[in-house]
Amino acid sequence: MSGHHEHEETTMSPYAMRIRAIEALLLEKGVLTEPEVQDSIAYMETRSPANGARLVARAWVDEGFEKLLLSDAKAAALQLGMEPEHPAEFVVVKNTPGVHNLIVCTLCSCYPRAVLGRPPDWYKSFEYRSRAVREPRAVMREFGFEPPEGVEVIVHDSTADVRYMVLPMRPPGTEDLRENELADLVTRDSLVGVNVP
Amino acid sequence: MTFEPGDRVRVLPSAKPGHVRTPGYLKGKAGWIESMIGEFPNPEELAYGHSGLPERPLYKVGFLQSDLWDDYEGNAEDYLYADVYEHWLEPGEGGTK
Amino acid sequence: MGSVHDMGGSPEGSIDRSQHEVEDWERLADAISSALGKEGLYTTDEHRRAIESLEGYRDLSYYERWVAATEKLLVEKEILTTDEIDERAAETERRWGGP
Repeated sequence: MSGHHEHEETTMSPYAMRIRAIEALLLEKGVLTEPEVQDSIAYMETRSPANGARLVARAWVDEGFEKLLLSDAKAAALQLGMEPEHPAEFVVVKNTPGVHNLIVCTLCSCYPRAVLGRPPDWYKSFEYRSRAVREPRAVMREFGFEPPEGVEVIVHDSTADVRYMVLPMRPPGTEDLRENELADLVTRDSLVGVNVP
Repeated sequence: MTFEPGDRVRVLPSAKPGHVRTPGYLKGKAGWIESMIGEFPNPEELAYGHSGLPERPLYKVGFLQSDLWDDYEGNAEDYLYADVYEHWLEPGEGGTK
Repeated sequence: MGSVHDMGGSPEGSIDRSQHEVEDWERLADAISSALGKEGLYTTDEHRRAIESLEGYRDLSYYERWVAATEKLLVEKEILTTDEIDERAAETERRWGGP
């Protein structure tokens, strides 16, 4: 849970009643329809880090796809049957032996939701949003990752309407794995860049 | 479009009130233009229900971490990118990657 | 309007890596906001601005901020009034037996 708001026990937030009231009123007044609300709920349910994992696994086995993913990530996502967001841009940045990328949105927690679904709670936390830009290496250490000696760390702050995802490096010793097995290696956290698969 | 990739720029130290997408930690800092992302309606205007037109150029701007933070712990080559609108940038003299 | 949200570089403690189960009301908050955006009733930028202007920004959870911002914008745009939301929320609470 983000921020410093704490529940002592599982008491529901008063905002729960508020949004239900708002929903009821909007439906009554015809501002929104029931199908619109249901579609909107369903939209997020079909998005998950598995989509990101599929994009990465395909890029690992197919050089042409990797090129597309890095030059036009939306087109790459569409090719695999996903629906990236409009009008926001979707950009994938590649980790290399010399470079490690880390994504953050300091101002609000922007995230490529249309592909990956909801961001993890920690991504939305004040602690991550504040520290990722200033001490990315200390943050990654908390996630159990230390880039090897000499690797540059590049932080991307999503300050405008571009949503970023990391293309991690393919782990060594995975030459014999099939694409779906490779996808299973790709974690949500590695797509943000706090660690590696 | 005023800037080209490689140009050195500085972020305006403006204390403009209201909704802005230029973070405080970048104001007054010098970096370089990495690339032009495109042109978009101005979020500062959209935030108040205006059209945000005409569209403004948006750049991917790079900054050396050692230029942003006095106490930065990491490699001298570490850097940070932020997506900054043209009207927040002026020519500058900073480090580059 | 404060700039509490503009927190890049601020000193903060260690990151809580636990994940809470998304509650139904949070899914609803997300869905209502997105649906209103899709209908062209408000933009992501207005939603962000409304969140940034919340007095309780640091005390509210992520989706609590969304609900408060949605309410703020709906009232601003005269789509709903605070009174009718208050009334309906109280009624909902009575029916459901509390938050």
